[in-house]
Amino acid sequence: MMDAAALIYGTNLGGYRAAYALCKKGYKVILLNRGSWVNEVRNQALSQLPLDLCWLCGQFPQRLFKSLGCLQDYYNSEVIEVTGQGGDFRVKFKKRDQLVDNYSCIECDRCVEACPVEVAGRKPISVHPQVMWENTYLIDWENCPKCGKCEEACPTGALKLERKEEVVEVRVGAIILAWEFEEPTDEELRDFGVGRFPWVVRNSELARRSSLTNFVRDSLRLASGQLPHKLAIVITPHFQRGKEYEPYNLSVTAVYRALKVKGVIPEAQVAVYLRDYRGFGKSHYRWYVKAVNAGVKVVRAERLQVLPQTNEEATLKYELEGEERREGYDLVILIAGQRPPTQMGELSRLFGVKPDRGGFCRLREFSSTQTDVDGIFAVGEFTGPKGNPETIWEGCAALSEALKYLGEPTFKPPPSPQLRDLPSEEAKIGVFICSCFGTFESKLDLPQLAQRVAEIPGVSHAEIIRGCCTPATIKETAERIRASGVNRVVLAACTPIQKSGKFRSAVLGAGLSPLLAEFLPLREDVINVHRDKGKMLKKALTLIRGGVEKVRWARIAPVLRDSFTPAALVLGAGGAGLVAAYEIAQGGFPVTLVEREGKLGGKTAYLNPKQRSYLQKLISQVEGDERITIYTNSELKGVDGYGGNFYLLLTTPQGEKSGEAGAIVVATGAREYRPDGFLYGQDEGVITQTELQNGLEKWKGIGFIAMIQCVGSRDEEHSYCSRVCCQQALRNALLLRENGSQVTIFYRDLTSYGVEDYYRRAVEAQVKFVRFPAAGYPQVSREGKSLVVKLPTGQEERADLVVLSTGIIPDRENNERLAALLGYSLDQDGFWESDADAYPYEEIIKKQTKPYEWATNCIYPVGGAHSPRGFAESLLTARDAAGRALVLLGKGELPPPNGPYVAEVKESLCMGCGLCVDVCPYAARYIDEVRKIAVVRPSLCDSCGACVAACPNDASYLRDFIGNQSIAALDALLL
Amino acid sequence: MKEEFTPRIIYFLCNWCGSGGSETAAAHHLYYPENVIISRVNCTGSLSTVQMLRPLIEGADGVVISGCHPGDCHYNDGNFRARRRVALVKSILSTLGLEPERIWFRYVAHSEGRRFVDTAVEFNDHIKKLGPNPLKSRRDT
Repeated sequence: MMDAAALIYGTNLGGYRAAYALCKKGYKVILLNRGSWVNEVRNQALSQLPLDLCWLCGQFPQRLFKSLGCLQDYYNSEVIEVTGQGGDFRVKFKKRDQLVDNYSCIECDRCVEACPVEVAGRKPISVHPQVMWENTYLIDWENCPKCGKCEEACPTGALKLERKEEVVEVRVGAIILAWEFEEPTDEELRDFGVGRFPWVVRNSELARRSSLTNFVRDSLRLASGQLPHKLAIVITPHFQRGKEYEPYNLSVTAVYRALKVKGVIPEAQVAVYLRDYRGFGKSHYRWYVKAVNAGVKVVRAERLQVLPQTNEEATLKYELEGEERREGYDLVILIAGQRPPTQMGELSRLFGVKPDRGGFCRLREFSSTQTDVDGIFAVGEFTGPKGNPETIWEGCAALSEALKYLGEPTFKPPPSPQLRDLPSEEAKIGVFICSCFGTFESKLDLPQLAQRVAEIPGVSHAEIIRGCCTPATIKETAERIRASGVNRVVLAACTPIQKSGKFRSAVLGAGLSPLLAEFLPLREDVINVHRDKGKMLKKALTLIRGGVEKVRWARIAPVLRDSFTPAALVLGAGGAGLVAAYEIAQGGFPVTLVEREGKLGGKTAYLNPKQRSYLQKLISQVEGDERITIYTNSELKGVDGYGGNFYLLLTTPQGEKSGEAGAIVVATGAREYRPDGFLYGQDEGVITQTELQNGLEKWKGIGFIAMIQCVGSRDEEHSYCSRVCCQQALRNALLLRENGSQVTIFYRDLTSYGVEDYYRRAVEAQVKFVRFPAAGYPQVSREGKSLVVKLPTGQEERADLVVLSTGIIPDRENNERLAALLGYSLDQDGFWESDADAYPYEEIIKKQTKPYEWATNCIYPVGGAHSPRGFAESLLTARDAAGRALVLLGKGELPPPNGPYVAEVKESLCMGCGLCVDVCPYAARYIDEVRKIAVVRPSLCDSCGACVAACPNDASYLRDFIGNQSIAALDALLL
Repeated sequence: MKEEFTPRIIYFLCNWCGSGGSETAAAHHLYYPENVIISRVNCTGSLSTVQMLRPLIEGADGVVISGCHPGDCHYNDGNFRARRRVALVKSILSTLGLEPERIWFRYVAHSEGRRFVDTAVEFNDHIKKLGPNPLKSRRDT
């Protein structure tokens, strides 16, 4: 018997995402955290994310799945032995429980109050607020006398001083290694003055300081208390080749940080020091342009050092175009890269995984997460430097690739308690006042409040409860509610935002639908914010009256379920489309694969031989899979329905075909930019990189070759980096050098990245590099037997061959047509919008409740359709989409993400005017053309109430906000 | 000298930023006057003009509404709609015999506990100066 389908070791974002996806699909997961509290071991997001307040909350699988029971997490854990094989591993690990169990802690601070020791104004036990997590209580063990007073004071038993280390052995199907980010040590950053000078600070330190407050001026204050007015931001890996590796988003981190600094200190002078601006993700180049327009100086320097200075000022010594320069700054912010995991040797020994050339975990070729060991997967920054999108994609890609080792999803949440059948019963209202384990007793006269509440007409029961936010008290409260015999509940407790799930479980446990309950935050509205006890009592009574009126009118309604079509549609049969189709089919679902051209494979001209043969293998796999229906020379003509229930119309050579799908993967790819100018098309000596790559044999022996980068990228018309051209150019340059040709590369910024340091190898191979600015592109002309590449500065090179590194452009016409059909937006550059931006901004944090997979209406753009990317990354995005689709497709039936809280229509009052349809941000309503009334799609409704306010006839209502209900409650507040 | 007039004020908060503001204020134990009564709605955009007017007609001395900042609405654009409705309500209050300043709309973010409390205090002082709701003494509403 398996203890879990998968064990995840480490807490990087890829690991969290994988845990989330696996749990959502119905697998049991074990998560090992090496730290003693949730964020102790910092992953890439917490160290390097450009944002200071990230939406990590949505990524934490612990929040939802631990309470459901399908995720088991362990702290202070360390794996000591692994035996078995893929599909059946036995993992032995050490673990020790947390000091304070978050699920039982009520944040009352009594432990801090009870502590008898005080050192320099602070107690050894103190609160550490966390990003989107409950407060963490930590003990400074050096000063702690271990007297146990804090443990005694804890009302819920959440704090335990003595916790034994235990050894646990589990049987799991797959192992996912999610080792976290490692920053260089202070010693490794010596050249930049870290730890030696007070005016040098790491960016991750700033992020730490600002993480709860979203970056305010105080994070930047110098030791003297002054604000810096001249700041430098340095990307250290650019000046320390080989010691650190750079996740590519450091460039965008730098300009983002610069913009943030200017945002809080507008008069500051900010300069960013880097070697190249390497932002090649979506909109990264636009950030650069924005920073430059805001007055941020970007200095492309060589060899940078931070020098000590005696007068409280940092001096940067750097080389610019061969000259040594110095510049003084008030504050230097360092953006440090990532070093390979120090524990790689140990991990190799335990798991059998191998390190690659750079010291990171090696993956199998063309796989996104599979290591050299069957059944063991690696995600996130553990496998090498990468940006955050890649880390996240690897999470779901791991699900897709690990599927065969996971067995059947065996987890079923506990059945909902039987709800009482109530329509015939008269409303009997019970008011339950929480005492927060006694904390409220000194602030408010609770017995008097209970007595006055019992006098309110309609209230048949009023009592004071101990608490209802820990597992024990939730059960207790549920029993008290049930015992009181009431069928409407007003619970006066505390914060609804974090605890609504717990309160609802208490009400459900009593057999009542949460629609019949109202939760009043007594703590937030009365106890913590007022002083006068008499007036507080009056206000508490008023609020409770409002709540009583509201539940008096409350009505139950069934939770509607939506069926999910267990099939997928994949548009486009290039590499990404083929992988997506294959992996979804392997997961057990039928796939319709639609390809515009007559053959499968997409654009192959730019692939190298190894990639081509992998693609061939994919094609035969797809053609051989019975579950995949392939339509070539076909297109999508029409789409109706919504995420989970799409009705499709295809045009094929055999006529029109209709079909159904639950998820749609858009893998329609992109196109190559055909250069305009540079004598391309007019002179046979001017070719593109792809043409060079496919004809290297032909150009062997050519004497002088000039390459021009950024042709059709990062310019006025294409404000993005095409990602593949620099790498391609360097690789081709190295091959040409081997054949003895001289190569000069004209470039703006070299955006090659990662462990394969092509740039360094090219420099060592004596490839010549000439930089030009955005406004100074070279001109190409022919002079007799040679071509001349000339810069506006006058510098020129003669060449026999000029190779243009052309960019990737969106397939605009196709994108626009399909996007209009699917109701999905395109970004500013014509590619498909990423899921974070396609739908309302706030959707990101709503993903706590709504499954990620649904957030984009189950439409997943991948590969070149999404943004310019290379072959391996296209496959990664496709695997991520496959993983996401696999989570949902198997469900069959799902309740709306919002449960019973959806909007409804009073059909007799609706006149079909359509105002509510226009107003709904989620496209959750439509007008039924036959009955001419509005209809709600419950799985898309987020219960915001915009339709309620817009309806001129009062025909639209939310189940917990029925028209007369809220008016009656308002009136009661004024009694 | 008249006896101290304690206004009856209804403060509408959205369930996200507005409530968040009150939670942050509570976490920091910031104080505001006890006569400000809180009423929560899912989104300020769900407040119809009827709901905004009702407290004033039923005798409340002032109504203040707080939602998310522009661009931050949890439901995308509810706060924009709320702002327009408040503007609409303000423009007709005088026809009902009420001063347009009896209704306020102010953005409060989740972390702005101080701003939430300041709004409550400022509005309370403001209404104290305006005096009691003139409709309270009428019998035809």
